Amino acid sequence: MGPRPAISSFLESRRLLTYILIAIAAWSALSVDWNGNLVHPGGAESARQIFTAALTPELSSDFLALALSASWTTVTFAVAGLTLAIAVGLPLGVLGSGVLLRPGSRRFFTITGVRVVLGCLRSIHELVWAWLFVVAIGLSPIAGIFALAIPYAGILGRIYSEILVDVPEEPLNALRTSGASEFKVFLYGRLPMAMPDMLSYTFYRLECGIRSAAILSFVGITGLGYQIQLSLNDLLYNEVWTLLLFLVGLVALVDLWSSLVRKSVTP
Amino acid sequence: MNADNVRTGPNRPKWPLAFRPSVGLTSLAGFLFLAIVSWAHILLGEDSGIASLFTAQTWQRITEFLGELAAAGSTNKPAFLNLESWKHGAALAVDTLAMSVLATAMAGVAVLVTFLPAASNVAYGDLAGAGGKTSRVAFHMLRATFVFTRSIPELLWAMLIVFMLSPGILPGAIALAIHNYGILGKLSAEVVENMDTRPAQALRSAGAGKFQMLAYGILPQVLPQLLTYLLYRWEVIIRTTVVVGFVAAGGLGHEFRLRMSWFQYDEITLLLTFYLLLVLLVDLASAGLRRLAR
Repeated sequence: MGPRPAISSFLESRRLLTYILIAIAAWSALSVDWNGNLVHPGGAESARQIFTAALTPELSSDFLALALSASWTTVTFAVAGLTLAIAVGLPLGVLGSGVLLRPGSRRFFTITGVRVVLGCLRSIHELVWAWLFVVAIGLSPIAGIFALAIPYAGILGRIYSEILVDVPEEPLNALRTSGASEFKVFLYGRLPMAMPDMLSYTFYRLECGIRSAAILSFVGITGLGYQIQLSLNDLLYNEVWTLLLFLVGLVALVDLWSSLVRKSVTP
Repeated sequence: MNADNVRTGPNRPKWPLAFRPSVGLTSLAGFLFLAIVSWAHILLGEDSGIASLFTAQTWQRITEFLGELAAAGSTNKPAFLNLESWKHGAALAVDTLAMSVLATAMAGVAVLVTFLPAASNVAYGDLAGAGGKTSRVAFHMLRATFVFTRSIPELLWAMLIVFMLSPGILPGAIALAIHNYGILGKLSAEVVENMDTRPAQALRSAGAGKFQMLAYGILPQVLPQLLTYLLYRWEVIIRTTVVVGFVAAGGLGHEFRLRMSWFQYDEITLLLTFYLLLVLLVDLASAGLRRLAR
């Protein structure tokens, strides 16, 4: 029984983690009222209807045209919101990475300040923003785009700054010794080297953006989600499934595109 | 020395200096084209709302709304100065937290049970057993399930589930769990596909059975990474729990919806405060637990 401080403390931390996770999961399960009416009175019947409707999605050409145009609307919202998010997130990401500033108190305060701003931008969900915007400036596409762009700018800014910091220093030092200014090092060294990862993450965000744009319908913005909600209200589950399949197809398509980009940029 | 020399020199670095033009540049150009078309579609479409941004009326409305959030001009005591409202909000915040934890736990357990057959090297690659065709079919079915569950956002899952389950914490948690199952399943399977398979193969050549190989060769290597992903997802889930609450009628989200429809914007301020506190709390808790998982 020799002393094994390093190993045992390692095991202790894992064991502690296990206990903590089990305890909070158990607490969350206990806060559900399991004895209440968990299932609707008509819940089983609607479940049956919903699942049988999956076998016969609505495939009339009129409806497919509607689903296609709704998909296009969703794509335009996602892309427009994402471009706005890049326009805000890229400069914030560069500032927040601190790569353009010399070490010192000014750099410290810039990095901290930008990180707080990015944290605030991404802490509130896009749909909450959408609702606030609809109340403040009225129901319009631009309200949805702003709502989408705010949290996405926060996330992109954070990830961009992390990628920019993680660039290997050796090639940059080579540029520095040949007399390049810090700004030129950034422009010709850091940015091109960070570009593949930034591009691949942005494409991943496009996939998320499609889903986010689809749910903005909840506050009345048109697109796939809006049609899904209309069909759900009329209990037309066949139409719901068609629209869901369009959404799945759209996300799978963007996923395929972004995985192609990822593969091409990783050596 | 310019960047070109670094790239083509004898000691070609491992990191990418510039993305290969074929797919990367084409995709960038494609995205820019899509961006231009999308903005044109929205701005040229009827009533994009961009024009109204520059009217005095809109700005007056925005100022009004901000005033209402701060309870300016209200005769009653605003919610954020009322102790009862704070207590009520705190109870809802606890419900919301429970919903997010329940969702994370359900997604985590479901992933833990199914992620191994969804990894190609376990299903039919260099770690495959004698499963043959069955494991290949299971692999494709699981991957299709991941794509399907992850493509449909939490809110839409919740809208479907409230047709079957009574409103409350549970339907919201299930909706969150289904969507995150797809995301975590894909990530976890990829962790297994990218891991170092030599320890597991060494175990097998030493006579370990399939179960022993999984338990001692694969899980110790991938579990910390899986746990880290799960904790990261928890941070996303807590932000979305409020949104799912809009339709699943649980926690802060449900209250948010009610107060919005009653135009009680001072209550909204209080609810948003609790929302931000929860997000901060979960971010800190997740960071602490992730440190333990390392």
